[in-house]
Amino acid sequence: MYDFSKITGAIHNWLSSIMPDLGVIITEWVLIGVVFLAFFALLGLILVYAERRIAGFFQFRLGPNRVGPFGMFQTVADTVKLLLKELVGTKEADSFLYNLAPYFLIIAALMSMAVIPYGFNLVAYDVNIGLFFMMAVSSIGVIGILLAGWSSNNKYSMIGAIRSSAIIISYELSLGLSSVLAMVLLAGTLNMNEIVMSQQAGWWLFRGHIPAIIAFIVFIITGTAETNRVPFDLTEAESELGAGFHAEYSGIKFAFFFLAEFVNMFIISAIAVTVFLGGWLPIHIPFWDGFNGIMDYIPGPIWFMIKTSIVIFILMWFRWTFPRLRIDQVLTLEWKYLLPISLVNLILMAFVVMMGWVF
Amino acid sequence: MGAQIMFYILATVIVVFSFLAVTSRKVMRATVYLLFVLLATAGLYFIIDYNFMAGIQLIVYAGGIVALIVFAVMLTEKIGDKIESPSNMQMILAGLISIAGAGVTISVLLGHDFKQSTQNIGQNVATIGENLLNYGKDGYVLPFEVVSILLLASMIAAIVVAKRKFEN
Amino acid sequence: MDLSNFFSIMRGEIVLAAIILILLLAEIATKDKKKIVDLAIGLFLIHTIFGFFGVGEGVLFGGMFKASPIVNLFKNILNVGVLIILFQSASWVKGKLEEHNRVSEFYILLFASLLGMYYMISAGDFLMFYIGIEMASLPVAGLAAFDIYQKRSAEAALKYIFLAAITSGISLLGISFLYSASGTIFFDELKPFMTNDSLITLGFLFFLVGLLFKISIVPFHLWTADVYEGAPIGVTSYLSVISKGAAAFILIIILFTMAKPIMELWREVIYMLSILTMFIGNIFALRQKNMKRFLAFSSIAQAGFIILGMLSGTQLGMSAVVFFIATYIFSNLGAFGVVYAIANQSGKENMDDYNGFYRTNPLLSVLMMLALFSLAGIPPVAGFFGKFFLFMSAASAGYYWLILFAVINVTISLYYYLLVVRAMFVRQNDNPIPAFKSDVYMKIGLILPAIGIFVLGLYSPIYEHINELVGMFLK
Repeated sequence: MYDFSKITGAIHNWLSSIMPDLGVIITEWVLIGVVFLAFFALLGLILVYAERRIAGFFQFRLGPNRVGPFGMFQTVADTVKLLLKELVGTKEADSFLYNLAPYFLIIAALMSMAVIPYGFNLVAYDVNIGLFFMMAVSSIGVIGILLAGWSSNNKYSMIGAIRSSAIIISYELSLGLSSVLAMVLLAGTLNMNEIVMSQQAGWWLFRGHIPAIIAFIVFIITGTAETNRVPFDLTEAESELGAGFHAEYSGIKFAFFFLAEFVNMFIISAIAVTVFLGGWLPIHIPFWDGFNGIMDYIPGPIWFMIKTSIVIFILMWFRWTFPRLRIDQVLTLEWKYLLPISLVNLILMAFVVMMGWVF
Repeated sequence: MGAQIMFYILATVIVVFSFLAVTSRKVMRATVYLLFVLLATAGLYFIIDYNFMAGIQLIVYAGGIVALIVFAVMLTEKIGDKIESPSNMQMILAGLISIAGAGVTISVLLGHDFKQSTQNIGQNVATIGENLLNYGKDGYVLPFEVVSILLLASMIAAIVVAKRKFEN
Repeated sequence: MDLSNFFSIMRGEIVLAAIILILLLAEIATKDKKKIVDLAIGLFLIHTIFGFFGVGEGVLFGGMFKASPIVNLFKNILNVGVLIILFQSASWVKGKLEEHNRVSEFYILLFASLLGMYYMISAGDFLMFYIGIEMASLPVAGLAAFDIYQKRSAEAALKYIFLAAITSGISLLGISFLYSASGTIFFDELKPFMTNDSLITLGFLFFLVGLLFKISIVPFHLWTADVYEGAPIGVTSYLSVISKGAAAFILIIILFTMAKPIMELWREVIYMLSILTMFIGNIFALRQKNMKRFLAFSSIAQAGFIILGMLSGTQLGMSAVVFFIATYIFSNLGAFGVVYAIANQSGKENMDDYNGFYRTNPLLSVLMMLALFSLAGIPPVAGFFGKFFLFMSAASAGYYWLILFAVINVTISLYYYLLVVRAMFVRQNDNPIPAFKSDVYMKIGLILPAIGIFVLGLYSPIYEHINELVGMFLK
């Protein structure tokens, strides 16, 4: 496994030799910020394009295929169009909140991306409470949605915002219980880097047999609810609420919401990959050293991207498989089914770990 | 040195936004200012290296309580409503009393010499978890369990207030 | 701490928590909600009776929970008070069934609040104290809103919860000052740090605000009249008697054990507040015509008397306060019981409607007269002895001017209590409240305070027992 701390250490030493301490810190901040913002934008581009091509694939038609080879530059064209659009605002009473709302979502997404380990020692913020920190920061995004719905001065936006935030707050419970707690029992730590390192003997999905599989299923369901995707996307269903809480936003501000949704999808997949599927560790089949040696050659971040893409593909697959649920069905699913299942699963996992019945 | 600069920035944010929150005339803006104050408090916890507490502050306060207040405001206020400002006499009196109270408290706080704590707090989440269920000295299992009964009673009180009339 | 100790020391709390859970399950399981009333009263009666038998004493959870004989005795006094309230409000709760379909919530919230008071009284550190005081106030706010579709009930609940939240915030600030000056929150470990340092003084004064709010001492008394008037039947008596008594008890424990070194400081404060409270309570009670507001202001004045007994700092003072709270519970519940019986039957709460009550309901009038005489302090009923011991303890500390003011206030209070007696016995009325009979529960709920008033006044071993337990506690 290639140790990325060599690269980051080298950059740090080079900076320290040029500037005093305070300058080094600030330069590193700016550098990391730029890298993550570029990653954020790039992710948005790729994921939007991927969504449209996969949608076409499922619906047995071609997706965008005119702008550039295989339509790769379609999203770039879309972005240019959005940037050039007129910012049609409403005569709303609260322009401060109207402009502030998208930034909550983007800040929440960026902060979550900072604790994900992309490779060995390639973490922006290696904190002892990594997984817990992600849960904490995603709560800030909810406020952004509520403010967007409120300050648009539009009844339907407000209804969409209330529904959306009710769904997110309810499903946060099962998400935390199933992913954070149940798997932390196995890994023994909240630190994301150490969770990945503890899976070197095998991924937790396979080692923690039945409870881990139940936790994974619950996690995937609640993850799609958290990001407001089908089958839980009644807040932005085009046929129902006319784009929900971001109805009154246009141009670049709409692009913020749109991007934030896709990056949230990436973050949920990243958590699933880190906690259940081994993070950036390569696929190892036990006792087949030759295969393992070849697999080790491929660097960590590539493995991470491959695994995340598979989970994102599954999430996109859901969109064209399941019908949309009503709001009362959504809340019933969480409070009457998923939450008891998560709690029982937690007790089951605690029992399994205590007995030592882990592979 | 960096910690000091960060502390002054966060402290300024807290003071300015608290003042704005109590003097603003639009309720939703006051809520957002409150949110900024709570986020800055979480930042203070990050400065003293107590990451777990900062996470708790974010989840409970910023993500739970402020969301609750925003829900309550959304359901009861019309956008564009302004809270009526009190009369001039009330404002002057309130201002004088606040300044007097703040003056007394600040002078007492500044005049006291605080001893630095010699205890070594474990930063481990595992230690926190173990202490939460410890029933000896320095254990917090009794408050933990009693608070759960308090939460049950609060939920039932909320149901009493919010349940609809019994339709026969 | 080993587990065998645990069940004998914390038995009362565990039984009460079990009762709450049983009521929750019963709510789901039964169809006939009226049975829940009987179930709740029966279970609580068993709990009260068992509370008198051999609860252990000791310290649990590393000092967070302290049980001693005087604390157990006080919990038993609170139990008896709540039992009387349950008897008195039984018929009202059954009436709520047809209106709102909410029966068991009343009992669950009441018992949860009582459980909070248990923890508040037995607290060994500020954390358990604060949890107890919050657990005692929040469910009562829900209870005050029980009649949610009447405006004054909702208003009462809102006023109570706003003011309780603000004062508990100030109290918490005081506790944080005390912690920052000393480094510990346990009462025993805090005692050496209590000096005349300005931060400790400020912290202690802020901390007192929370307790003084619950006892309705001036200037924290403004919530009392409105909340007592708006809240429904059992809730007002609960607030005025149990809540006040528990807060007074933990106040006197804290003042006499933890804050003993700064006695000069809090003596001044209590002296001034006691005079203010007595005068303001009595003067405002003179003008009230609504019986609930009238009893609210009279209970503010009685609160002034309660803290008068804390001035001495001796064993005599503490046992006088405990005895006075016991007599106050019985007398006030007797008065409230009659008011509720009348309000339940005819909906009338005004003093003018009580004219000529003796002609139609002689027994109720006699009970009301007894309760009011006990509140005023006329011998030989219990209230006289309560006030007598209080004045004796204040005199032993040399506060003669204070006793003069207190006696003036007793005279004023006697005047307005006799106004009610005059209305019932002397005044004529063309259409007085008709004669009525209450159901069994209300009858028991009215007889018990009467028995209590007589027994406490005439049977002296009770006071000597209290004195002895206080002596053991203060060693």
